[in-house]
Amino acid sequence: MTPALETQGLGRRYGSQWALHGCTLEIPRGTVTALVGPNGAGKTTLLRLAVGLTSPSAGSVRVFGLDPREQDAEALPRVGFLAQEHPLYGSFTVEEMLRVGRELNPGWDDEAAHARIAELELPLKKKVRTLSGGQRAQVALTLALAKRPELLLLDEPVASLDPLARREFLQSVVEAVADRDLTVILSSHILADLERVCDHLVILALGRTQLVGSIDEIVASHRLLTGPRDQAEDVSRMHDVVRESHAERQTTLLVRANGHIYDAQWTVHELDLEEIVLAYLGQDAARRREAVLS
Amino acid sequence: MTWLSWRQQRTETIVAAALLALLAVVFVPEGIHVADLFVHQHVARCINRQTQACSFVLGNFTLSTGSLQGLFASGWFNLVPGLIGVALAVPVLHELENGTVRLAWTQSVTRRRWLVSKLGFAVGTVLLAAGCFTLLFTWYQQPLDRAFGRWDHFDFEWIVPFGYTLFALGLALAIGVLVRRSAAALVVAYGLYVAGRVFVESWLRKRFITPLSATFGQSSAGPNLSHAWVISEFPSNKAGRPFVGTPGVFQNCAKVGPAGFKHLNQGCMVRHGAGFTHAVYQPASRFWEFQGIETALFGGAALLLIAFAAWRILRTD
Repeated sequence: MTPALETQGLGRRYGSQWALHGCTLEIPRGTVTALVGPNGAGKTTLLRLAVGLTSPSAGSVRVFGLDPREQDAEALPRVGFLAQEHPLYGSFTVEEMLRVGRELNPGWDDEAAHARIAELELPLKKKVRTLSGGQRAQVALTLALAKRPELLLLDEPVASLDPLARREFLQSVVEAVADRDLTVILSSHILADLERVCDHLVILALGRTQLVGSIDEIVASHRLLTGPRDQAEDVSRMHDVVRESHAERQTTLLVRANGHIYDAQWTVHELDLEEIVLAYLGQDAARRREAVLS
Repeated sequence: MTWLSWRQQRTETIVAAALLALLAVVFVPEGIHVADLFVHQHVARCINRQTQACSFVLGNFTLSTGSLQGLFASGWFNLVPGLIGVALAVPVLHELENGTVRLAWTQSVTRRRWLVSKLGFAVGTVLLAAGCFTLLFTWYQQPLDRAFGRWDHFDFEWIVPFGYTLFALGLALAIGVLVRRSAAALVVAYGLYVAGRVFVESWLRKRFITPLSATFGQSSAGPNLSHAWVISEFPSNKAGRPFVGTPGVFQNCAKVGPAGFKHLNQGCMVRHGAGFTHAVYQPASRFWEFQGIETALFGGAALLLIAFAAWRILRTD
């Protein structure tokens, strides 16, 4: 089965600046993926490329095997997109926004959309611009869900919401995923926002993918090793070192293990997801410092 | 998509309709009044006749049409097609500026279909508004056109208003996609619309087709210029060269006639390099050619501008 999203050396340049560069990844169907990275890492660019709002400068992007830009008539009905600012027509009422969804989407589920608005107690007759940020986000999500896409892309969906609205919003996403066969990609610069709902992870930093995989696999393969400094090189030949710090005789390595680590000279610690992500983002920060210094 | 396009330009359409309604409220009663005058003053009998009695009738007709006609003749209403054209560009520009295109372009409708619908609505509305505009003023001007020819109100009649409104719409769209700030784009577009109109009206239009010219003596009637667009008319010699002598010549050539009237001795005038009138003009018969050329000019420019805007929008990232 073709993956929900597949990119090959995907890049997008604005002027001389690469917003995204050499991005290769594959998001299997039915997964909920957290797209994590610092601000300016290229998360928005990747999502915009996936829905055809932006065209690639290099490489290719496919959703369900379709080019979102060239085969837009086929690809668009299958992809839902929620931009960060939750753009809606401010002068329209909530009811009119639902009508927009109905008019523009052949697969529109009007009943579900109205049910959802009623359940959230959103006023149908009120103009969108008079709603709170949380309410607007819910209207935008309702539109994206009632379109009945197979792939739903949410760009920083909770960034502008207060903690309560955040919970409610993510709960809605979880319910939608449970209801039917839906692949979701959510981006955020804070993993904690998404950890609860995701099973896959993509870390983007400096416009490149740093880590792609299922969260279980990622947690299982990353280890913190403490051991003799003079043998650090042996470890790095076997495993991918994400981060290292050296004391006088002792070295601490955060590695992505390729196979079992059984060397008795090293103490092995397990890591939780947040520590792993921070290590990758810390690596990013270190590289950025290097880039500034050089 | 049809409903959405309509819903998004509802306000602008109402504004344009209100503007036209306001003009109608003023000019419909006035038009009825002018048509009445035309009948009651027996103006029809004097069309194209250059007798003294008729010039009195025509002069009287002009005077009695009143101040509104003066305001109309001043050309202020040329601003209206521009306003309507620019206003109808707002829904598209607003959507680009506010970033709601990210909503529209991520529904199931392709960007091309979205664009065709939005631009189709804008162009359709603009043409409809231009139709109302030209219907109102072509009707209002009928009596005056019959009496004095159609050239005076060239800008308000028949098909040219379609070109003008479309041109304003095209300008606003093209500049809007370039600067991406609606308010600034509208101001610049409107300025360019006025500049374009002034340039064509004052410089280019009379050159569409090489004007005719005629030199005729004071005693002869010369060509019938009453319904022509007279570009220039000046005293000249027999060859049509402008008279460059001093006013003293007229003194010298003046002869006192039997009843005490002074009249100019033609032979004397001719000897001094005068005695003729030279006129450069576009005859009444060219009116439709000029309407066609002007409409094609503005309409063609409008299509290019709209095509440019569409191309930019389709390529937007």
